[in-house]
Amino acid sequence: MRPLARTAGLRALYRRRSVTPLVSAERLTRRFGGGGLFRHARVVHAVSDVSLTVGRAEAVGLVGESGSGKSTIGRLILGLLPVSEGRVLLDGVDIAGPDREGRAERRRRMQLVFQDPYASLDPRRRIGPQIEDGLAINNRVPRAQRRTTIKALLAQVGLTAAHADRFPHEFSGGQRQRVGIARALATSPDFLVADEAVSALDVSVQAQIIALFADLRTRLGIGMLFISHDLKIVRSLCDRVIVLYLGRIMEEGPAEDVLERPKHPYTQALLSASPSLDPTRRRVRILLGGDPPSPSNPPSGCVFRTRCPIAIDACAATPPPLDTVGPNHRVACIRVEV
Amino acid sequence: MIGRVYRSWPFVALAIIAIAAFVTPLLPLSNPLSMDVAHRLARPSASHWLGQDEYGRDVLTRLLWGARVSLLVAATSTAAACILGTALGMIGGLLGPLAEFLAVRSMDIVLCFPPLLLALLVVTLLGPGASTLIPVLALVYLPGFARVAYAGVLAVRSQEYVEAMRVLGASSSRILLRTVLPNIGGPLLVQISLAASSAVVLESGLSFLGLGVVPPASSWGLMIAAARTTMAQAPWLLLWPCLALSVTILTLNAACDALRDANDPHRRLSGRRRLMDALAPGMLPHTGPVLEVQGLTVAIATPGGTIYPVREVSLRLRPGETLAIVGESGSGKSLLGLSIMGLLPLAARPISGAVWVNGNELLRAPESELQRLRGNRMAMVFQDPLSSLNPVHRVGDQIAEVLQAHKRLSNSAAKAKAIALLTRVGIPDPVRRARVFSFEMSGGMRQRAMIAMAVANSPSLLIADEPTTALDVTIQAQVLELMATLKRDGNMGMVFITHSLPVVAEIADTVAVMYAGEIVEHGDAIAVFANPLHPYTAALLRSAPSENGSLPACVPGIVPPINALPPGCIFAPRCDHRRPACEAARPPLVNATPGRMTRCVRWQELQACAPSIGAVA
Repeated sequence: MRPLARTAGLRALYRRRSVTPLVSAERLTRRFGGGGLFRHARVVHAVSDVSLTVGRAEAVGLVGESGSGKSTIGRLILGLLPVSEGRVLLDGVDIAGPDREGRAERRRRMQLVFQDPYASLDPRRRIGPQIEDGLAINNRVPRAQRRTTIKALLAQVGLTAAHADRFPHEFSGGQRQRVGIARALATSPDFLVADEAVSALDVSVQAQIIALFADLRTRLGIGMLFISHDLKIVRSLCDRVIVLYLGRIMEEGPAEDVLERPKHPYTQALLSASPSLDPTRRRVRILLGGDPPSPSNPPSGCVFRTRCPIAIDACAATPPPLDTVGPNHRVACIRVEV
Repeated sequence: MIGRVYRSWPFVALAIIAIAAFVTPLLPLSNPLSMDVAHRLARPSASHWLGQDEYGRDVLTRLLWGARVSLLVAATSTAAACILGTALGMIGGLLGPLAEFLAVRSMDIVLCFPPLLLALLVVTLLGPGASTLIPVLALVYLPGFARVAYAGVLAVRSQEYVEAMRVLGASSSRILLRTVLPNIGGPLLVQISLAASSAVVLESGLSFLGLGVVPPASSWGLMIAAARTTMAQAPWLLLWPCLALSVTILTLNAACDALRDANDPHRRLSGRRRLMDALAPGMLPHTGPVLEVQGLTVAIATPGGTIYPVREVSLRLRPGETLAIVGESGSGKSLLGLSIMGLLPLAARPISGAVWVNGNELLRAPESELQRLRGNRMAMVFQDPLSSLNPVHRVGDQIAEVLQAHKRLSNSAAKAKAIALLTRVGIPDPVRRARVFSFEMSGGMRQRAMIAMAVANSPSLLIADEPTTALDVTIQAQVLELMATLKRDGNMGMVFITHSLPVVAEIADTVAVMYAGEIVEHGDAIAVFANPLHPYTAALLRSAPSENGSLPACVPGIVPPINALPPGCIFAPRCDHRRPACEAARPPLVNATPGRMTRCVRWQELQACAPSIGAVA
């Protein structure tokens, strides 16, 4: 970690900041559809009442299947999508605050790394100018220094200055993802949302990018929200993990606790479904029947109950609250004995 | 070099036409207006290369002056329409619903009038002349540009790289100029070529009707009109302006196409499929296996030379067995699957080897034979069920069609069988699901429907190319379970192509590891995972995320591009155990222990010095 607290003043600043999390999302809710005279009246709750915090140099894993709302949460936190309810704070300040300059500054400090290294780079521009965009905005880095800064950014992600003059299609998938990370780092952010940033990559390259993320976190002290469907990757990279199902938090806590000793039946099923590397251990699975229900018509009470192997009648009554079951470990299930 | 000259001819031709028109006043030509009635309709001669017209004026001079008018009108009207239209379209696409309504709907109103009628109307109101023609034609072509730009903006603005610019905090104008504009440039260039060439035609047409350029000024349309009246005496007078019109239009189109290609940083591949030579002597299938591949090499001709994305691949698959082909992108595993099915893309062709399915050689079989086998004795499941199912047909009908393609079945019998198949792949409420469209199903359900189609005619060989990659992990578990059950029930041989080692561990009996087009290791799945013999397999296993939370180990470097393979062992540049010998010559695939093969020259040493070079921790 970066030695931040060198002087007394800095130490005080650091202490205050360590109390306020770097990023905190409070009771985020996002609805799609509904309203409008000619629109389909059905409202989809993509995200319901999700709160989370990410500290400096902390990596939080956001795990869930497709339709669980994990990407939506990432975009809500970055302000790319307006929230329906709730708010997002950066260093205790609402990112949607009224001051225009502050908003731009907060946007600079929060960046996104995309899943698809092919779609997220402009195919018609060389990558140097694409990285330069982040430096040029608000003229943050003077034009004369940009070439050097781009070189430094490329070096930071394991590429060389010569790469700046190439087009995206001249790179392999892993290299493109490095370019995407360099572009995100161009604004010197404090916080990164990595949205399935390694899932499109080959295994051997995936490991390189995971190592790069781990390195950025420890070396630059960047806080990270790591969105992924792969529990093993989250386990290797993240301190804490949040398990989502249909836009609601099912379980959250330290990565080791949640992924070694899962309490929620959904987390257990997820872990059981992910295949093991050892062919001699083709184990008996908790096979979940059916598909996740549609977010436009979620089940009453606990949204997981329609696929849950241990559901009882009471599960349909009210949405279960997040109960604490261990240090920082919370589970939304009425069937879990605390 | 020749290719470059060949591609740039439209620019050269266009430049010649434009320069000729531009410098016409400076050329030592006679005055386009000076008459010589004595020699009216004179044939081409040394002093008048193209002859003289009905007033004895020099045709060549008038042709060149006509080109000036045509090109000036076309260029200015197209430029005006392009700039205004693009601006309107981009405003409509980016600035909210009101701007969209005003920009797009106003263009719709203009589009309601037939272009010629609109032009006639305005010319009648404003009076003929070249200066009227320019705004008229600009107005006629404006909607085209606005619509193309609007559609382009709509397509581009949802791209991730545009969102990436927004995350960086870029202003709208920066996004518009730096990102959106270059990406809608291609369609706009095509629109420019269409507008410019049709402006040339429309200018001539209006002049022909007497509504464009006013005589005695020169114009191709006027020349055609005049030549028409004297067609019987001097038919060649009609030829020159028509020829000039056609050549100009063709050149304009070709130049815009070339410009669009030059503007596209991707280079296009081309190639042609070719029939193969006869089977090499001594190549015979073993009896028993469902699938046997011997020494298969696939070539793709690219502008930079021929590449070989699959080289010397040999495989054997027995009934009821699952062979996993595992490799990273670019390993050639999907091309291998497609070449077995005879479904290689046009640019790729097999150049040596043989593929037997149930004893039938496929690489030399006619397409009709392959059609008879595909979907019947051999079937394939693809990664993306949404794009592999036809969105306009009901799922049940698609399955019934596969059945009827190979068996004589009545419609009702085929439908009943389709419903039975949907039940067999575990789709709840199959009667209702048979009537839905593919986009109404979830991803897992679609993949089940695809599998139902594949196993409809009880194939003996099923090739599954990344069938679970697009699925969620709980759904993947369901589909893997289903495939294992189907295989057990049907005694079907399955080739399972994947990049995921855990999935291989889950489903495979034997595994072939591919790297940059070659098999580097082959053997029993349990043995390969427990004790890999090739350093690449070991590295792959180490780099897979582990369950204990430690960071996966990295394999340095990248897979070498298939057109720049190292001379020796292709994995040597990334291998921790390389020796000079590795880089000297391409190692052969050797039989290490019974049933196990590796393409590593050092496998014995590596096994001896470290009992396991990379077994999973």
